[in-house]
Amino acid sequence: MKSGNENDIPMINIELPDALRPMADGADRVAVEATTVAGALDELGRIHPQARVRILTRGGQIRPHVNLFVRERDIRSGDGLETRLEDGDSLLVVPSVAGG
Amino acid sequence: MASDPHSDTDPDSNSDPDTAITRITPTEARRRLETGAVLIDVRNPGEIALGMPEGALALLPDALDARIGEYARPEDPVMLVCASGPRAQRAAQRLERLGYRDLSVVEGGVGQWRREGLRCVQSEHLEVEDAERYARQMNLPELGVEGQARLAASRVAVIGAGGLGSPALLYLAAAGVGTLGMVDDDRVERSNLHRQVLHRDDRIGQPKTDSARATLQALNPGIDIRAHRLRLGPENVEEIFSDYQIIVDGSDNFPTRYLVNDACVRLGLPNVYGAVQRFEGQVSVFPAGGGPCYRCLFSAPPEAGVAPSCDEAGVLGVVPGIIGMLQALEVIKLVTGIGEPLIGRLLLFDARATRLRELALSRNPSCRCCSPDREFTAYVTETSACATSEAAPKSAHD
Repeated sequence: MKSGNENDIPMINIELPDALRPMADGADRVAVEATTVAGALDELGRIHPQARVRILTRGGQIRPHVNLFVRERDIRSGDGLETRLEDGDSLLVVPSVAGG
Repeated sequence: MASDPHSDTDPDSNSDPDTAITRITPTEARRRLETGAVLIDVRNPGEIALGMPEGALALLPDALDARIGEYARPEDPVMLVCASGPRAQRAAQRLERLGYRDLSVVEGGVGQWRREGLRCVQSEHLEVEDAERYARQMNLPELGVEGQARLAASRVAVIGAGGLGSPALLYLAAAGVGTLGMVDDDRVERSNLHRQVLHRDDRIGQPKTDSARATLQALNPGIDIRAHRLRLGPENVEEIFSDYQIIVDGSDNFPTRYLVNDACVRLGLPNVYGAVQRFEGQVSVFPAGGGPCYRCLFSAPPEAGVAPSCDEAGVLGVVPGIIGMLQALEVIKLVTGIGEPLIGRLLLFDARATRLRELALSRNPSCRCCSPDREFTAYVTETSACATSEAAPKSAHD
């Protein structure tokens, strides 16, 4: 994801829910450099491939039981995976859970 | 019971301000009532519900400035009473500043009124026991006797008498929800008891609905508790839900959650949603009509293999406790109209960090359940990893 000028690429945190942490060596957040949500998830996949699989389908679409939020907004109501990221943003992964 | 010991404790209570405010006995106040004087009871609604001096009018101190004109003109004789005296004294001083000139305070308040054998009257809508039981929440002006009456008239069904259902049912019963239903077909197991606080070790093996009913009736015998010991399915969901105004989703599997959502949308019922796993919980209110529904948020359940099964995931017992209580809170707010319901917002609870986070939800215009151009044909039974792992022998609503 790095370009010729590293300063142009925002550094963001992907915040993982409890259910995905085992696929990311137990981490609750993963810092990546990316300009879009899709790019951030590609970076996540490079570091923790299994975590990405739980979020995106093989075709690269967001799984229907997963929601992604940037700046507390659901990206589906905006530009989806092409949502632009700013330095310091958090990409929050919220999967459905059924426990009661 | 009639007084709040804190309410009448005030550093000014023994002061004797230089005013024309007089002190009169309850018997004298009763006599003056007959000659046209006005008696204002400035106690809280919960105290008043237990009985108010006959002939008195209820007016909260905060409403004095705005509403005293409805009861008396500045030249009229006005008497004030509270539980024992100080609040009435402060109210009289307030009226004096508004220009009222003939003011008196009933010495010893309602307590002395009763001791002198004078009559108190009680709200027609409340039994003595209810007035006592709900006094502390009726004291909240935002709730009052009217809010309590709304709770008494409300009909709420909780799906699942388990981890979420336990706190939700306990607090809704305690709050006085008049008709409280529960749907569960499971039996109490020892592994339930770290979180399902409705049940007890000596009830292992009993149907959860029986155990829950026993606990709830012991807590509040004045409400109608309805137990539906069955597994919720497309064939019975509408018949059950049609008896209720609000549904609380405390189920533990995806097929039931989607069924609850779809039936709520179809019947126009608010769905107070809660779900937990491990150290995390989610809460929201999916309103009837217009707002985002559960399927707007999660259009389909996870496929097998991409989410841990409910059994293997585990949960810290206090997490459903907190989430179920938030669900009960949202029900009380919906019924009474207090505050801002959690509509269009998803609350995430992270027990590890003890952190609550709020996310904005929006309606999915192509939602296959609630978008206006979708026509209902039949309930879709969703399947998922959790559904598979907890098939027939287990409950649909743990």
